[in-house]
Amino acid sequence: MSLTAVKNTFDTIEPTPTQDRLPRRFGDFPTLIDALEYAAQGERGVNFYSARGVLEVSASYATLRSRAERVGRKLAGMGFDRGDRVALIAGTHLDFVVFFLGCQYASVLPVPLPLPTSFGGRDGYVSQLRLQVESCRATAMIGPDSMVEFGEEAGEGLGLKFAGTFAEFEALDCPDGTLVRPATDSLAYLQYSSGSTRFPHGIAITHKALMANCGGQGRDGVQLVDTDRCISWLPFYHDMGLVGTLLTPIANQVSVDFLATEDFARRPMQWLSLMSRNRGTITYSPTFGYDICARRVSASLLKELDLSAWRVAGIGGDMIRPDVINNFAKTFAEAGFKPTTFVPSYGLAECTLAVSFAPIGRGMEVDLVDERILSGEMMGRVEQAVPQSADLADGDVMLKTASDEGVRLREVVNCGVPLPEYELEIRDEDGVSVADREIGRIFVRGASVMSEYFNDPETTAAVLSSDGWLDTGDMGYLSAGSLFVIGRAKDMIIINGRNHWPQDIEWAAEQVDGVRSGDIAALSLPSRDHGEVPTVLVQCRVRDMAERQAFADAIKRQVMAITGVQCRIELVAPRSLPRTSSGKLSRSKARQQFLSGKITALDY
Amino acid sequence: MSDMGLSKDVIYGRICQLIEPFNKKSVPLTPQTTFANDLDFDSLTVMDLVAAIEDEFDIVLPLNMLPDLETIQQVTDAVEKIIKG
Repeated sequence: MSLTAVKNTFDTIEPTPTQDRLPRRFGDFPTLIDALEYAAQGERGVNFYSARGVLEVSASYATLRSRAERVGRKLAGMGFDRGDRVALIAGTHLDFVVFFLGCQYASVLPVPLPLPTSFGGRDGYVSQLRLQVESCRATAMIGPDSMVEFGEEAGEGLGLKFAGTFAEFEALDCPDGTLVRPATDSLAYLQYSSGSTRFPHGIAITHKALMANCGGQGRDGVQLVDTDRCISWLPFYHDMGLVGTLLTPIANQVSVDFLATEDFARRPMQWLSLMSRNRGTITYSPTFGYDICARRVSASLLKELDLSAWRVAGIGGDMIRPDVINNFAKTFAEAGFKPTTFVPSYGLAECTLAVSFAPIGRGMEVDLVDERILSGEMMGRVEQAVPQSADLADGDVMLKTASDEGVRLREVVNCGVPLPEYELEIRDEDGVSVADREIGRIFVRGASVMSEYFNDPETTAAVLSSDGWLDTGDMGYLSAGSLFVIGRAKDMIIINGRNHWPQDIEWAAEQVDGVRSGDIAALSLPSRDHGEVPTVLVQCRVRDMAERQAFADAIKRQVMAITGVQCRIELVAPRSLPRTSSGKLSRSKARQQFLSGKITALDY
Repeated sequence: MSDMGLSKDVIYGRICQLIEPFNKKSVPLTPQTTFANDLDFDSLTVMDLVAAIEDEFDIVLPLNMLPDLETIQQVTDAVEKIIKG
């Protein structure tokens, strides 16, 4: 179907309204289906915009409900049983939403799968799809027309009951089955967004957990008001897109306008144009989304934009960079953007999505902390932290990045108070809870913590205790009840909001001739512009300069081909990478030693 | 559309011009130059370039084509194919 054809057909459609008369309920439903059926009593719904900002498809929650029911009947009729997994290639289309909800009517678990994001990398993408389908033993794979060849290739030989497009599935000639409604304790879906792609594990979320998180986000997190309207370009295969801007709006009866992620990446200004045109009040983005908008906006567009209705500019999904956020506020002040709109937040897919939100209407608050404490070089409390409520009133923010004594200070962002459902503890290496302003690992317990990594008791037990405490793997500290996050999960490498596991990159590098197992450490190192650059340290036994160059190039190519990550390659001496007492690679030590110069890079 | 008659060489030349602003390391461009390995483009840069190509030729490069496009030659061929419809 060509874009122009769609445009002409839907020339006159109207987006679903921001307001209707249905009294607000904050996710207090036993299941997602009950939430959908309540929302279907109002007029709100979901809207999909083209790359050029034209409304192409609009569906009220009532329409969504009836289409989802039909899909549910068909799934049941096809013989899909309660708890079966159905993989859905998660493009930003109404069909994905219909099928995700349709699965619920048959108590089948939808598993959102990713889309390609760049030039090249076909094999890596197909194998990622296949590994996820194998990992959850899905029995069907359904996707948009455009992706069907990848889906079929990825599913070949897996004995799928169905592999094809959404339209083909809906056109199947089979008798309707009986709807099988889920119970509140039933699993609602599996999420693969945060895991390793090479060794994937699906995060299993129940309806009860989902509703608890959606309700908490609406009631306590963003504190929804009648005039709220959500605008989103986040992908449905990511927890922030799926839960934050699709399922939470359903559970709290909010209209949403969607822009496809790939369209946002091409023309980011469409995001802000939509905010302006549709009087959007709530939107979320990782830091990089704010960054590209501030860098690409033109003077003429700035004059046209009216961002004064914007109430919640959620920031999450990667490490929040205060300099970038402040630059956005400064750039768009002219268009009516208020810096107090920023809402830094903390969450992870293992907690359905959200853990904490900064207070609404306060903007970003940062502590300035001695870098030596954060990197573990110096022990102890964050004594030096001077809470610096950035004075954003005049839109001109200057934040100190170094003190007079030449001590490097880092800005640590206040991610707010945990949602009421959570207990949160900061623990030291021995698992003992630490005092206020002392750094440790973040542990949480609450209704929306995942049930398990699907079918993987061993990996589950490593992070989730029998009494319900989840080890987030993230480091941070509490200050008067507010959470300050200083480092994301374990050794995770995050590029433009996408998580990459070092194990995946190391595995890829090990596929190159001449690399031995244990020769590689994949790390994220600070770059000159305060960002992060993914770096691979490689123990190298080659002396010839030209050979070294070829060796490094081969590793770079291989990592790119398999993981899609553009890495800097640093060659280091044999046996220089540090090990733990059990002989495992210590990435944190390797990082520290490389930065301090104890491990030096070989020339090539 | 007037672009119908564009030759492959012209398309290639225009694409190279569009790449230049992103070519921070001044890598010499050939038809076999790859975006990921030779030019070091990350996915955001690629999408920025895709937008520039789409505007230049008034076309849409569908997402499902991207995984098969590794070199400038392959992008040139894809653009030509879309223009000729």
